[in-house]
Amino acid sequence: MRQEFLRFIPVWVAFAVIQAAVRLKNDPKLAERLRRRDPKAMAELYDRYGRLVYSLIHRVVRDTGVAEDLTQETFLRIWNRAQAFDPEKGALGPWIVTVARNRAIDYLRSSPGRMAARSLELTDIEHPSRFTGIEDRALTLDRARRLKEAFEKLTPNQKAVIELAYYEGLSQSEMADRMHQPLGTVKTWVRGALKALREQLAEGAAA
Amino acid sequence: MNCEELRDHFELYALGLLEEGEEKNEIIAHLERGCPACEAGMKDALAVQALLLSQAPEVLPPMRLKRRVMGAVGVQPMGWTWFAAACASAMLVTALWYGVVASERRRERDAARATLAETISERDRLQAAFRFLEDPQTKQVNFGDSQALPPKGNIYVHPRLGVLLIAANLPPVAADCTYEMWILPKNGGAPQPAGLFRSSNDGTAVHTLGQALNLADVAGVAVTVEPVVGSQTPTLPILFVAQIG
Repeated sequence: MRQEFLRFIPVWVAFAVIQAAVRLKNDPKLAERLRRRDPKAMAELYDRYGRLVYSLIHRVVRDTGVAEDLTQETFLRIWNRAQAFDPEKGALGPWIVTVARNRAIDYLRSSPGRMAARSLELTDIEHPSRFTGIEDRALTLDRARRLKEAFEKLTPNQKAVIELAYYEGLSQSEMADRMHQPLGTVKTWVRGALKALREQLAEGAAA
Repeated sequence: MNCEELRDHFELYALGLLEEGEEKNEIIAHLERGCPACEAGMKDALAVQALLLSQAPEVLPPMRLKRRVMGAVGVQPMGWTWFAAACASAMLVTALWYGVVASERRRERDAARATLAETISERDRLQAAFRFLEDPQTKQVNFGDSQALPPKGNIYVHPRLGVLLIAANLPPVAADCTYEMWILPKNGGAPQPAGLFRSSNDGTAVHTLGQALNLADVAGVAVTVEPVVGSQTPTLPILFVAQIG
């Protein structure tokens, strides 16, 4: 799994980096129409994010049937919670992506033999109110490109822990078990990787 | 813990992966009291998360998934429904139209074939008649000239070609009846059936018996009206008789 990921990551980053920033830009009008439960807005939302949501979920669960089920669940959750979303200040794209990722991680964690659910429920961290104030400038094509460059500079172990965190939903203790490494070592890799990504984005913003 | 010390943990907290402990409790406390630095840190973490997750390799969802999603939220994909209904209606109308046209074409084709077959048959009969008339061995016999309500016409006999009947003034026959020609032997034997035929609307008819005959044994040719399937013996009255030998 780890080797496969390391081989794969530069390709998917290269192909998708442009689409990422474009899709994530805020759309207050669409969000407002969703709040008013406009059926056409739902169709538009699917047209804009359906492929992204399905791709992300498929990347996590690696099963087309499950990916369809979870995509449906994701949009249903967005539809039901859109009224709590702030259309003016809320970032619709990051919210949808987070909900989709959490549905997929929930599925992985509920599978027999997987880890027990953590005390912090994923639904708590995807509440619409958390996605207010993320500005378009945080989601630009330039930032996506810099993130890609920063990711490519990470060590193999750092790339692996980022993969395990974002696409498999493993905590640092679980990563340590999976990788047969001391917890302290894993924490160092995680901290180093996240710091490198953060600093690369900050340097770009300052420049 | 201060905000700077918490900075390394925002991403894991945003992912739901920060395990129970001091850092997690501190982040929750800072966010609950509206700490600007921590709120900014969380927004950055969520933006990084969104950018990373959005770069998953693209996989095309099946076409049906949109309808499924729309159905799940209780919204019918109207555009598609109307479009599909319109397409289906158009296809149905087109199929019906083609069905009607094809049926009409089939009827016309069958009628044309029947006409063609009739014409070919008529042509064959006339060609046979001409062969009769052209051959020098053909012997002509008139009949009916002396009758008050004649059928009348000519019989042509030929030892190899057989018998050609050209008749006029034939009376109309019922739909379930037809004319039958008979060969009358000289030895007084039973008349031999020589074929069924029908007349045209004007009472004329041309009929050929295409088989060799020993004319020395033939006394004459007769015509009767018989059931449409023909008979083995003539039904009286005889419509006319042409004496040959």
